[in-house]
Parts: sequence; structure tokens; C-alpha cells
Amino acid sequence: MGVGMFIFEIIAPMLEFISPVIPGEFFPYFFNGKLEMLQRALVAIIMVTIVAGFLGVFLLIQNLALIGDGLAHVSFGGVAVGVVLGATSPLTYALVFSVLAAILIHEMQSRELLTGDASIAIFLTGMLALGLVILRVSGGGITTEIHSYLFGNLLLVDEESLDMIAIISIISMILLVTIRSPLLACTVDPLAARIQGLPVRAIGLLFSIITAAVVVSMVKLVGALLVTALLVTPAATAQLIGRSFRSCMIWTQVFGFSAVFGGLYLAAELDAGGGSMIALFAAVVFAIVAISKTTFNFFIQTNEN
Amino acid sequence: MPTIEINQPPVKEQKVSDANIIEVSDLSVVRSGKMIISNIDLNIKKGEFVGLVGPNGSGKTTLLLAIIGLLKINSGSVSIYGQRPMSRILNGKIGWVSQAASNLPQEIRLTVRELVKLGTLNSTNMLFWSNPNQAQQIDKAIKMVGLEDVEHIDVARLSGGQRQRAVIARALASNAELILLDEPLVGIDRSSRNSLLKLLDQLCHDEGKTILMISHDLAAIRQTAHRMVYLEEQIRFDGPTEEFPELEKLASLRGINPVHNHDSDNGHNHSKEEE
Repeated sequence: MGVGMFIFEIIAPMLEFISPVIPGEFFPYFFNGKLEMLQRALVAIIMVTIVAGFLGVFLLIQNLALIGDGLAHVSFGGVAVGVVLGATSPLTYALVFSVLAAILIHEMQSRELLTGDASIAIFLTGMLALGLVILRVSGGGITTEIHSYLFGNLLLVDEESLDMIAIISIISMILLVTIRSPLLACTVDPLAARIQGLPVRAIGLLFSIITAAVVVSMVKLVGALLVTALLVTPAATAQLIGRSFRSCMIWTQVFGFSAVFGGLYLAAELDAGGGSMIALFAAVVFAIVAISKTTFNFFIQTNEN
Repeated sequence: MPTIEINQPPVKEQKVSDANIIEVSDLSVVRSGKMIISNIDLNIKKGEFVGLVGPNGSGKTTLLLAIIGLLKINSGSVSIYGQRPMSRILNGKIGWVSQAASNLPQEIRLTVRELVKLGTLNSTNMLFWSNPNQAQQIDKAIKMVGLEDVEHIDVARLSGGQRQRAVIARALASNAELILLDEPLVGIDRSSRNSLLKLLDQLCHDEGKTILMISHDLAAIRQTAHRMVYLEEQIRFDGPTEEFPELEKLASLRGINPVHNHDSDNGHNHSKEEE
């Protein structure tokens, strides 16, 4: 039994336990275990959401909100190469491509060859184009499988993918929690961090590799085009109301989970795509919080005057 | 004609010891084929408050970065506490304070306490969950800069002066003995500026910190610094603040006339004829 199924065996009973209170006609199937496929998808997306939120807070501070998008497109290129080569697990190719791209982007930025956005844009379009060209040349085109990597398909999470998602999530989470303090120090003021004796470069590189791996683990679930929704939107929403780094971390998880559960509920009941509904829900929550905050501040100010 | 207002220099007894903390000799740095600083000789003793001044692009930050070992030097030598720069032994001994305006990312919510905590990290303790003295060190640093009342407030909500104090506290949190400040007064209003200078003066006198501060605000820096170093590619003045020339006479230091170079520390004078 793989790591993914091990975790599944632990979480599944909990999901079944709360399933009676889950609203909706179809949504409870994600919990009650009558369709293991759906339960597996939920377990996978819960793991990914926790890690993505943790990662997203740091990406946001570093002004790297779009790196998730870039790496997801690179992963798509990797998937296409894997599919054309007939690989059993195209995500392995995606992982290799994504990690290599992350290392290159990090090196280009730290050597100041290109600014953050430009290097991401080049990799994003270059690798997406490579994927599309290879697919076309090989005669495959955009099949259902390819389609699911672009837009996500929660129902395609087999045991093997669950294992990969679990391994990536657990290792990334352990690493992130371990390096969180020096990572924050390097993010807030890299120069001061170097003078303190922190290995700024190594930490930056490790962070890039973790980001690349987490993005790959998300591609199959929410789709290459929508990865940023879970990576950045909850963190950005949290940043609107958090008043300390710690509270931002907690709020990010709250918004991440609300997006996943709210999005999946709507997707199940309205028969819409899971990944896109999650992304939409996250964006709507962001909009509501942003508008409430602005209105609230406006009234506070008018009262004060 | 701008006038310089000189407040009374600090009358307190300086606790300057004989040991050099920073020893720079014959340092030159070339970047992209251009000589940024050359033939720099500079010794700084424990407990000194040195103001490093000079026009924009005169190499002040370059000198600071070369001293701490973040820039490749082309010739000469630098030692801090008798060590090579960036040596592990120096971990925590040096605190760095950058401009208030540029030292924090926008998209971050961080309380004063969380920020100061980052200053306690170094390469040996950074992966530990907590170290026993950490809370004490943080308390002490926050107290030194007088931010106890706002320690749980988001740094972004503070005034420029308070934010700069928070950054100084971060630098102090590792019990740093040598504090390097790169233009800490930029973007700070006048009253906060004076209280910041007072804080730095206290750190130097009461806590025995050694301070090397870059500023282009001559009036401000000469209120507090004991010693002034005027840099424009080379060191053109190095001596007690009282002997630092008035603004109009500074022109004579700027490469027009032969330069009076006063080096009070190692006692050797080197007048430089200009090109």
C-alpha cells in the first residue's frame, strides 16, 4: 500500500463520519464512501490545498504570484512529452520539467539576467508551445486525457496519482515547516538575512523546487490553467484581513478550505467542472472580502470625521 | 545656500577601546570595468559611531557591502573582528539596517515581534523550533528601541520612524555588536529623525554598540556621529566630527584641490594629489 492510500485509509472514516451533515444531493458522495473515486479526489485536494496555502503566502510576499501559473504550463509541456512518449505516468515527466524550469528561473533571477516576470513568461509560453507542437506533430491532438491536464479532472485521481500527490504534499509540508523562519527572513530582507549568516541562495532554490513539485501535484486536480487559484487566491484574501503573519497563515487555510468545499459543492450540484468551480469560488470570496473591507473602512473613516 | 544646523555634539564620555573591529587596508572595488572605490584604508574601533558620507554614487554602499563580504573586492584586505568577512564566527555579531522605505515587501502582514524574531536566526539555529533565549532576546531588542507598546501591531500600520525602529530592533535581536546602517533616515519625518538619532546615540553610549552609518543627510549625521568619513571613490576626509569642514568648504574635498586627509586612527597622513 502506498503513502497515498495509507493517508486515505486514515481520512476516509472521518469523511464518512461527517457525511450525514453534508448538504446537497450529489455532494455527500464525496464523503460517504459509496464512490471511492470521489472520496479519493477529496482527500487529494485537501492535502494539496493545505500545502498550496502555506506556499502561497510566501509566493505572494515575494511577488511571485504568477510563478505557479508559469510552472503549471511547463508541467503541461512535460505531460505532453510524456503522453507522446507513451509514459504510464506523464506526471513524472511534468515533475522533471517543472523542477528544472524552477531551478532555471531561480538562477536567472538571482543572477539578474532577467526580472521575475519576464523569465516566467518565457518559460510559460515556451513550454506550453512545446507541448502543443509535440501533440500536433505526433498526431494525438487534444484528447480527453490532455484536456484533463489543462482544466483538471478530479475523477481521474487513481491510486497511483493519489500516492504521488501524497508524497509530494507530505515532503513539501515537512520541508516548508522546517525552513519557514529562515525562508521568511530571506523573503523580508534578503540582504539582512545573508549578513545574519542564513544560506539565502540555498533556501531560495529549495523553495523553488518545492513550488515546482507542489504545482505538479495540483495539475491533475485543478488543471494547469487553474493552479494559481488555489496557490495564490486564498493567500491574497487572507492578506486583506490578517494582522500578523501567523493570522495570515491561518486565514489562508480557512479560505483555501472554503474554496474547495464551496467549489466542490457547487460543482457537484450544478454538474460543473470541479477545478473551475473551485477557482471561481475562490475568486468570488476574494471579491466579497475585498469589497466588504473597502466598505467597512469607508464607514469607519466617515464616522471618524 | 543651505545652512547646517549643528546641535551640541554629545558630551558623554566615549567608551572607545583600542581594539579595531573593522580593519580595511588598501581596498579597491571595480565593477563592470569602473573603479568604484580605491585605496581605502579604514579602521573602526569598538564603541565608535562613524558617519560615512559622500555624494550619490560615491561608493558608500559599495564600501559597506565590501566590508561585510557581499561584494568581490579587487585588491586590498578586509577583516572584521579579526576574521574574514562572512566567516561563520561573525554570525549574529553584525546587524544590518536598510532604508525604511525599501526594507519591507508590501504584501506582507508581520507584527513588530514577528519581524524582530527573524533577527535572532543564524545558520546554526535557523531550523530549530525554538531556542531558549529567543523570547528574551526579542524582548530586549524591542525594549531597546522603545516599541513595547506596539509589538503586536502590523509593521505596515506603523509610521516611518517606528518602522525603522522595528528594523533596527531586528538588527539588534541577535545581540549584534556592530550595527551597519544604509541611509536609515530616508523617508522619515524630522521629529522621528531626531529621536532615531538619539536612539542610535544611546545604543552607542549605553549599550556599547559600534555604529557605522551611511547618510547623505549631513546635518543629521553630524549631530550624533563621533567621527566622519567622507568618501568619493577615495576617502577624502576621516576625522572627528568637530573637524569636519562646513558645506562650502566641502567643495575643496571634491577633487578640485589637493586634499587634506586627516586620519586620526593609524596616524599616517596621506595627502592625495588629484588628477
